[in-house]
Amino acid sequence: MKRDPAKIRNIGISAHIDAGKTTLTERILYYTNRIHAIHDVKGKDGVGATMDFMELEKERGITITSAATYCEWRGHEINIIDTPGHVDFTIEVERALRVLDGGILVLCSVGGVQSQSITVDRQMSRYHVPCLAFVNKCDRTGANPYKVVEQLKEKLGHNAVLMQIPIGLESDFDGVVDLVTMKAVYFDGSNGEHVRYEEIPSELVAEAEKRREELIDAASMFSDELMEAALEGEIPEDLLRDAIRKGTLKRELTPVFMGSAYKNKGVQPLLDAVTYYLPHPAEVENKALDLDRDEEEVVLEADPEKPLVALAFKLEEGRYGQLTYIRVYQGTLRKGDMIFNNRSGQKVKVGRVVRMHANQMEDIESIPAGYIGALFGIDCVSGDTFTTPGYRYSMTSMHVPDPVISLAIVPADNKAQVNMSKALSRFTKEDPTFRAYVNHETGETIISGMGELHLEVYIERMKREYNAEVSVGAPQVAYRETITKRAEFNYTHKKQTGGAGQFGRVAGWIEPLPDGDFEFESQIVGGAIPTEFIPSCEKGFRASMEKGLLLGFPITGVKVVINDGQAHSVDSSDMAFQAAARGAFKEAYMKAKPAILEPIMKVVVETPAEFQGAVMGSLNQRRGMIIGTQDEGDMCVIEAEVPLAEMFGYSTVLRSATQGKAQFTMEFATYKQVPKNVAEELIKKAQEEKKKAA
Amino acid sequence: MGDIIYLVERSLTMLKHDLIKRNPLRLLDSEGSRILGEGEFGGVVARAGVGKTAFLVQVAMDSLLNGKNVLHISLDQPVKKVCLWYEEVFNSITEEYNFKNGNTLWEEILLHRFIMTFKSGDFNIEILEERLNDLIEQGIFFPQVCLVDGLKFDETVREILNELKLLAKDQGFPCWFSIKSHRDEPKVESGFPVSLAQVEDLFDVVFELAPSTNEIEIRVLKDKAGRFKDPGDRVVLDPSTFLMKKSD
Repeated sequence: MKRDPAKIRNIGISAHIDAGKTTLTERILYYTNRIHAIHDVKGKDGVGATMDFMELEKERGITITSAATYCEWRGHEINIIDTPGHVDFTIEVERALRVLDGGILVLCSVGGVQSQSITVDRQMSRYHVPCLAFVNKCDRTGANPYKVVEQLKEKLGHNAVLMQIPIGLESDFDGVVDLVTMKAVYFDGSNGEHVRYEEIPSELVAEAEKRREELIDAASMFSDELMEAALEGEIPEDLLRDAIRKGTLKRELTPVFMGSAYKNKGVQPLLDAVTYYLPHPAEVENKALDLDRDEEEVVLEADPEKPLVALAFKLEEGRYGQLTYIRVYQGTLRKGDMIFNNRSGQKVKVGRVVRMHANQMEDIESIPAGYIGALFGIDCVSGDTFTTPGYRYSMTSMHVPDPVISLAIVPADNKAQVNMSKALSRFTKEDPTFRAYVNHETGETIISGMGELHLEVYIERMKREYNAEVSVGAPQVAYRETITKRAEFNYTHKKQTGGAGQFGRVAGWIEPLPDGDFEFESQIVGGAIPTEFIPSCEKGFRASMEKGLLLGFPITGVKVVINDGQAHSVDSSDMAFQAAARGAFKEAYMKAKPAILEPIMKVVVETPAEFQGAVMGSLNQRRGMIIGTQDEGDMCVIEAEVPLAEMFGYSTVLRSATQGKAQFTMEFATYKQVPKNVAEELIKKAQEEKKKAA
Repeated sequence: MGDIIYLVERSLTMLKHDLIKRNPLRLLDSEGSRILGEGEFGGVVARAGVGKTAFLVQVAMDSLLNGKNVLHISLDQPVKKVCLWYEEVFNSITEEYNFKNGNTLWEEILLHRFIMTFKSGDFNIEILEERLNDLIEQGIFFPQVCLVDGLKFDETVREILNELKLLAKDQGFPCWFSIKSHRDEPKVESGFPVSLAQVEDLFDVVFELAPSTNEIEIRVLKDKAGRFKDPGDRVVLDPSTFLMKKSD
């Protein structure tokens, strides 16, 4: 493996669903000679695009799992992570962005900046990932890359600047004019593999000159030299590229390229741009936390000779066992090395080291700093940091949202039961937003995640990859309980019927805690409760928070204060005070006017303007609060907050209300108290189910 | 049996009353009367970046606290940005008055706000009316106060304002506008910038925001019904928060 970090690019390709990122990745792999034939994403030829290696993805024409792959272009090694587009899978996008140094934001030249593009852009900005924009599908009817650039500016606040202009559009789309070299670029050959440079067509010269002026204006903000050169009227290409690069790395400039990946146009200049404008690993500052020094931040250096720091960012169960995708930030990860897992505290020996190309792999000896590779036979979960033994560094924790929806699954038979367990164990390791547990009361296995589609995909994967047939219950919303007023308790736990007795009394109050889950405060003075039993009280109260008395969902937002109590010299114990605390909580809880909280989703619907009324009506019927509407000519964007409980099956409703012309994205926004009538119904239902179970 | 007193609700109501009472807007409108009546137009004129939107949002906030439904129409700004204005103003107010319980109040007033954004080129009253009918017929929202931020006061504005006036009278809501003036824009004798002077007759009240060294003065340019005394030396905008406050 080459060791020049300046020649490495770790990039992600992110976009709205259907913007064509998988097709783009496919073409990139083709032009870099990693694959030798081009296949369709939708799998019409039965082969399917290389990056979409999972059957399910082929069938749906979408990318669910991000697969890491690498290719070479003009002396540069490019590691690519293909990222999923659906909002339910944003954890995958986020994980991908965490390990990448740069990104390509793919936009559809017809659809422009859509709601998911906004989500993806927000994530890129959270991880400070510099990006290029690629306006795809310029061959489609209605294509307008200029409009997309305006949207990048208005909707995403990017300082977007055109690097190319199109030669023809829609069915006449022929190629692009490069505004740096001022040449027309055409793509010949059956797969567009021959790039031909020509003079700019005369009818485009004026437009190209005008746009180049704009480009130089924008770029000269980042280079005094360029500004001087511009005044003198002589601008060397390198100088212009350097200035654009500076702006891009600061995330203050977004160069916009265009083409049609499907029609094999514009991909090679984009690859050139990746090498010109996106950063190499040494240009990106990565920080780890030093666990020995109170999690102090340490800046890592992309030096292969330094001690190792590497992050396992993705796991996959393959034919040969667990495959761990890893990014090395510092040092070198070599075959045969002993490495230290900072989470589990275990030392492990590195077995096979591979470089991934979708689902094929090649064995390599080592992964140096800045590279992405994969390991075999390492037991870990995603997000684990590996270091040279003796160094206790951890990469900053990734932002992982809590699941908001769950459903019960029941295996069809014993065989399915075994397979289901295997599948769940793998999925939960792979995806931190996917959780699974057994409900001890009902004996059912519950899986939870970020949305209906998220869980649906895992159920299908269980069936296809593990042959685990399961029947699925209705989706359940992850409600929570909280209290709305202060209530006092004074509870004595007393058990003195033969043998060692139990005695403990706790008094105090509980009150709402608006900005937190749980807080415990002891105001005990004079030893009313001996110091050693205070933690027992806290433990008892904390345990009570796990299950509320209204619906049995976890309780949140409670502050407990104890200010009095009593102990017995013989009969008081840790157990007794835990029990007393539980009893006290129970006593106060119902007095504290408990309420049910439900997850509220931020829903963004994009619809043709003529269906705006119908869409707003459909959201309103679902207890949605419409925040606003954004008219954009023929299209309209409606933003609303809707309880998750009301959003089941919404995609079908939306399709039928808009003749399939609208689409929506949904993400968790907050927890809010459910209205009284809904709460009463929920409580009634919970009581009936409890009776049934009994 | 005596009446039950719900303390949380009561404190929230008191909080709202307090906010309404202490709002510096009260120094503008005399004796707590409404600034604008049904179908009437009010305007706030200033140069870019002086605080027109913040002024409108504070007017909106006052109406929201009064339980009135506010339709905020913004031209060329996304919904998200408009929301941010409200959050900023609300946070500044809660900080200024050191309110707890802000979340509950915020959630309550949000129910009374609806944001519509248009591209300025696409905005016309026919579309607005169509959108409003969608909302009203389905019982989603009916505006009681309307704000229009970002309307260009060019040669075509009279037609839009005339149509809007009819709509406002028909629906019974007052309308507030932000009016952008330019540094070198000449003023007519009455003090109006030329762009506003051409439609000045349609307005009942016009305030001007005039920045000085430390403050932004609020001046009354027009007061058709004689509701206000010039608040110039009493109410100003704080340039750091754009909140209205009594002049020191």
